[in-house]
Amino acid sequence: MAESSSEKKVVVIGIDDSEQSTYALRWTLDHFFPNPVFKLVLVHSRPTATSAVGLAGPGAAEILPIVDSDLRKIAARVVDSAKQLCIDKSVKDVTAEVVEGDPRNVLCDVVEKYHATILVVGSHGYGAIKRAVLGSVSDYCAHHAHCTVMIVKKPKTKH
Amino acid sequence: MEESGGAEQRRMRMKVMVGVDESEGSFYALKWALDNLFTAMATVGEATEENEGMVFLVHVEPKVHNFVYPVGPGGPAAFYPANVVVESVKKAEEEKSASVLSRALKMCHNKLVKAESMILNGDPREMICEAADQMQVNLLVLGSRGLGALKRALLGSVSDYCAHHARTPILIVKPPEQNKKQ
Repeated sequence: MAESSSEKKVVVIGIDDSEQSTYALRWTLDHFFPNPVFKLVLVHSRPTATSAVGLAGPGAAEILPIVDSDLRKIAARVVDSAKQLCIDKSVKDVTAEVVEGDPRNVLCDVVEKYHATILVVGSHGYGAIKRAVLGSVSDYCAHHAHCTVMIVKKPKTKH
Repeated sequence: MEESGGAEQRRMRMKVMVGVDESEGSFYALKWALDNLFTAMATVGEATEENEGMVFLVHVEPKVHNFVYPVGPGGPAAFYPANVVVESVKKAEEEKSASVLSRALKMCHNKLVKAESMILNGDPREMICEAADQMQVNLLVLGSRGLGALKRALLGSVSDYCAHHARTPILIVKPPEQNKKQ
């Protein structure tokens, strides 16, 4: 019921450290922006330190803070370079979020939070086996997000 | 600034391919694409000549199998020649495709978007991916039936296949939720 004056449509884009997601961001900026109707939200999901370290070993308590600060640095770097890319393409209305947790749930939650019109994700282009073993965020989102999902693949340099 | 002008032109000339069939999901996808991808560009309001995105509507007819249909009592003499049945099935398919495409084309014209249509034969998944590659489209739009994991494994999902195999970016439009809060 919020008939705000700026009824902008929200585009949520998931970013991480990979080339594919930078390509996806760039593609989205090229094709959808600059545009008064769309508002961009960048989401980076930071794995929790405990999940990254895995099973607790005897030395786990010591390395946890180190892993945590490292993850924080990576997250900051990813978000900064993404914001820089937006500024380069003269896209001003950008919100950035860093959320801790599993990327699949984080992306779907952000979509709910902003009532997004569209969720954009890159794709690592794994084959079926890798996807089954490593898991595919884009696959999960395509099936579970409550909005339209766009999967942008970086073209493989073939022939 | 020439760069921003170039970016706008690039944006407006987006070639979008939309897979359509007789299901409501695919028409919803087409409507969504027209609303969000094209009217957004129209509001910018400059350069009406370059303001041409294009929509390619693709309808894939599944291949008709040549079965022999036994009809009526009395052995082999009562088998209809396969041709007659195949012909009539083909004709029904063609009429269905024509009505689907004409409805889709009308939707595009209402939104003042240039559209072209094509009918392909064969397995929808592969044909759509191939067509998207050949036409070098910027974006492929598909509807989704919103099937759960089990149904998807059994019935197959065109959008799932294309999401993994298409080389172009792909947009999957979900059917609107029943209990949408807005």
